[in-house]
Amino acid sequence: MAGHSHFSPANVEEHFEFTSEGKKRVIYAFIAGVVALVLGIYLLSKGEAGGHEVANAGHEAVKAGHEAASEHLSGGAVSHQPAAEEHYDWTNRIWANVWLNAVFFTGIAIIGMFFVSLQYLTKSGWSSVMKRVPEAFPKFLYITLPILLLVFFFKGDAIFHWMHHGVTEVGNENYDKIIAGKSGYLNKTFFLVRLVGFFALWIGLWTVLRKKSLEEDLIGGTDLFTQLVRISTAFIVVFGASSSMFAWDWVMSIDTHWFSTMFGWYMFSSWHVTGLAVITLTILLLKDKGYMAYVNENHLHDLGKLMFAFSIFWTYVWFEQFLLIYYANMPEEIIYFLERWEGHNKIYKTSEILMVFLNFFFPFLVLMTRDAKRTRIFLKIAAFFIIVGHYIDFYQMIMPGVLGGHAGYGLVEFGMVTVFASAFIYIVSDELTKASLIAKNHPFLPEAVHHDI
Amino acid sequence: MSHVVSPIREKLVTGGKSYSDVTHDICKQVEGEPTKEWKWAFGISSIVFIYGAYCLFYTWWQGIGVWGLNKTVGWAWDITNFVWWVGIGHAGTLISAVLLLFRQKWRTSINRSAEAMTIFAVLCAASFILAHMGRPWLAHWALPLPNAFGSLWVNFNSPLVWDVFAISTYLSVSLLFWYMGLVPDLASIRDRATTKGRKFWYGLFSLGWTGSSKTWARYEYMSLILAGISTPLVLSVHTIVSMDFATSVIPGWHTTIFPPYFVAGAIFSGFAMVQTLLLITRVVFKLEDYITIEHIEMMNIVITVTGSVVGIAYLTEFFIAWYSGVEYESYAFINRATGPYWWAYWMMMTCNVISPQLFWSKAIRTNLMVSFFLSIVVNVGMWFERFVIIVTSLHRDYLPSSWAMFSPTMYDIGDYIFSFGLFFTLFFLFAKYLPVVNMAEVKSVMKGVSSNFPEKKKATKKTEE
Amino acid sequence: MSSTTNYILGVYDDEDEVLHAVSEVKSKGIKIEDVFTPFPIHGLDRAVGHERTRLPIAAFMFGVLGLTCALSLISYTMVFDWPMIIGGKDFFALPNWIPVTFEGTVLFTAFGLVITFCISNNLYPGNQPDLLDLRITDDKFVMAINVDKNKKVSADDIKKALKDSGAIEVNVK
Repeated sequence: MAGHSHFSPANVEEHFEFTSEGKKRVIYAFIAGVVALVLGIYLLSKGEAGGHEVANAGHEAVKAGHEAASEHLSGGAVSHQPAAEEHYDWTNRIWANVWLNAVFFTGIAIIGMFFVSLQYLTKSGWSSVMKRVPEAFPKFLYITLPILLLVFFFKGDAIFHWMHHGVTEVGNENYDKIIAGKSGYLNKTFFLVRLVGFFALWIGLWTVLRKKSLEEDLIGGTDLFTQLVRISTAFIVVFGASSSMFAWDWVMSIDTHWFSTMFGWYMFSSWHVTGLAVITLTILLLKDKGYMAYVNENHLHDLGKLMFAFSIFWTYVWFEQFLLIYYANMPEEIIYFLERWEGHNKIYKTSEILMVFLNFFFPFLVLMTRDAKRTRIFLKIAAFFIIVGHYIDFYQMIMPGVLGGHAGYGLVEFGMVTVFASAFIYIVSDELTKASLIAKNHPFLPEAVHHDI
Repeated sequence: MSHVVSPIREKLVTGGKSYSDVTHDICKQVEGEPTKEWKWAFGISSIVFIYGAYCLFYTWWQGIGVWGLNKTVGWAWDITNFVWWVGIGHAGTLISAVLLLFRQKWRTSINRSAEAMTIFAVLCAASFILAHMGRPWLAHWALPLPNAFGSLWVNFNSPLVWDVFAISTYLSVSLLFWYMGLVPDLASIRDRATTKGRKFWYGLFSLGWTGSSKTWARYEYMSLILAGISTPLVLSVHTIVSMDFATSVIPGWHTTIFPPYFVAGAIFSGFAMVQTLLLITRVVFKLEDYITIEHIEMMNIVITVTGSVVGIAYLTEFFIAWYSGVEYESYAFINRATGPYWWAYWMMMTCNVISPQLFWSKAIRTNLMVSFFLSIVVNVGMWFERFVIIVTSLHRDYLPSSWAMFSPTMYDIGDYIFSFGLFFTLFFLFAKYLPVVNMAEVKSVMKGVSSNFPEKKKATKKTEE
Repeated sequence: MSSTTNYILGVYDDEDEVLHAVSEVKSKGIKIEDVFTPFPIHGLDRAVGHERTRLPIAAFMFGVLGLTCALSLISYTMVFDWPMIIGGKDFFALPNWIPVTFEGTVLFTAFGLVITFCISNNLYPGNQPDLLDLRITDDKFVMAINVDKNKKVSADDIKKALKDSGAIEVNVK
């Protein structure tokens, strides 16, 4: 312990420099993403999307689902009309990708806020040394909000079955009794109110939290800490109350007929573990550049534990949702998994298996030992594949409902992820330069610096 | 764990205790004669236990026809009580395992009694499984043993068999975890023993503990691994209990949120029960310096958080029942809130969702009397939750001609009383004969979390130098 | 710890002091047999020079054994010995078996781990160890030095080293 006795808040301050070299690299990546995307779109328009698309997926796609689903058995709640089936437009694949990435990166951004709030709420000491990193993430909400809004306004009907023309209108040829029954919740106005409302609350609370947190660097004292705890509590309450709703809105309502009470917590668990992986990866990359010297292998060990534990938690939530639906085998529910397992000429089956492998077996085996959790390269590999795995998880949640048999992994997907990821890196790096990487007046900082497990 | 603790944290041990004081304060009631209060409490719970045992014996003798079940409501208090007790039995392992993994130092003063409570609660739950069977002497048929009628096996696809495995694994692993935690403390009592009998018995169960650094290092690893596997275990138990219902296709039972929501409910009721018992224990055994207001407050915060999670789950279920467009689901939920059992539903809502919100006020969550009262309210509410889920989902059959109500007989009530008798008898025996606070763990965190920690000796020596 | 061995014991009353004392005493070329404490002290085993325990590996092995046993039993009974169609599922209904398999894994891990721990530390009911100091399980930290294994250093030097490192008592047993 004696080795650390010279620790004092003054000598921990360090500023991240987003060098022009670094900026250039991120911008090149962005441009590469755009090029790939444009090329992908060009190929799509020619009908050659690349990837695993199966050309004649068309109408027989969810045959298995159709057979299992029969309306009189189930009180009429059978889903058998994925949005993509009729009037398929090749541009839908672009919008599906935009929506997928916007939701995925919104999650990463807001988990930054969730992580910091949770640390305040539980009065955790160890994490105070790294809290500036997740604290910078929510800045990206400013990017995803307009994207979500634009896609919703202009191409919402490409994504959401319930936005199709006439589905709630009695007598219309598209009329769908079940969807009409949900229109009290699923309608444009209410959807928008919720979307904007959640973002407003999140961004608002983050702005206050960030402001107070930066003030703490200047003033110190415990008053600001108490205020930060209050803001965090408010955020957790808001996030807890909204956690199920945004999952229903942005993802579950794509498969409009289908429903699962578990879905909100399932999507949250996916976001959460992805967020943890991104936090870990960011810290490791910063350390590689020589920053954050006070974050030692003990802190990394804890981050590793969190990724390990929440990968298992994700598995628990995913599996029990699956098991209950599989076991009861009710047509209106099981169709969701049939579609992903054997529907659409089985184009989703590989992803489904890969996803469970990457999100459970891989982190479970890689992060099991103590040494792995304390070794940077293992953590990097695990974090990277957790992020990839959960991207696939979101792909599985969104694509079958939007694109049906027309989905695939091609240049569009690759380009879109690259564009979003480089934008995310740019925005977060920029935000990181605005404050010391270590919150020097955090009252728990001495605990974190002496953290030893 | 380092001793660097931020000064803004509340103290967890008060009164300037030294290590030796800890040993003395905790061992006192193990070594002393039983107090008058203890004798009364133990006597009363034994009487309750004997009366309950009579009821249970009568149930077995006559068959479960003595319960108020009917063709429509074929599962009522028996399974309600089972789920209720299993739920209560979650807090102990949660406190010792999950809070150990999260390095919450406040767990050290309360984990021992919480774990003991867990084990007794799970035993009570198990007694309802046996009561259910009607022929408890054939209980081993639930195990995968090839039986006398050919090699017919238990059905591993049945959630009830999952339950047998979950409960028995949970009980035995919790017992193991608890016992291994006791070993160093039993050694303390062994080494202080003044009578031969005590030296023999505590010596026997302390397994020859010496306290060597090598053993301790392994011991810490063992505790961490046990905690690591107990955490998913404790989640799995209530998950599997919830699957007894959720794998079925009964409206109101088949919903995917059941597993995590049951787990949250279990933590909620378990913490409430720990709160109830600790508030009594700390006064009776004069442990106010170890189980401080800070501990009580932490427990109340956990109760508020889990109560709110449960509340969100209630609303989610209700919402999705409407959103699904399945009329049977919608009916089941509307019937819960407005049907003949509306009072049970609103009892559950008030006790579980609304009452814990009072703890948002610091004055309320640090008030001992209110905490005690609300901890009981929470468990009343949690009993009603299970009753609502089970009975109101069953009592409206698909065929209106089969609609029925349930009313308990005195044997339903008597068997429930039995479980209270069993629980408190065991708890009082534990409180008398075993250390109710984990001495070794409290000592290990005392530096930094103890107020006025006596460091005088060290200071004087320094000046000598 | 048979009574024929000759021990010099340094008794300390503070966990940080004993931790420092260990490295201090070791630096004088004295081999420490072990340190006995009322509660675990973080880093003490490393300081004394014990090897890291391999208990986690044992636990993992028991886990794998439990997993294998559970899955074998279930698939033997449900698929081969007495197959029955339950809920319209295949005989090999793997998702349905996960709960019991999980419980079996945990059960084997927990019991295997604790039994290994007890065996490796010579803990068993009825074991009556020859205790070096009865206050170890109360509030004293005792450093034990085996005189026979420290031929190079005289007993007096050992005693002095212990005293210098902050021991409040030095006893011989």
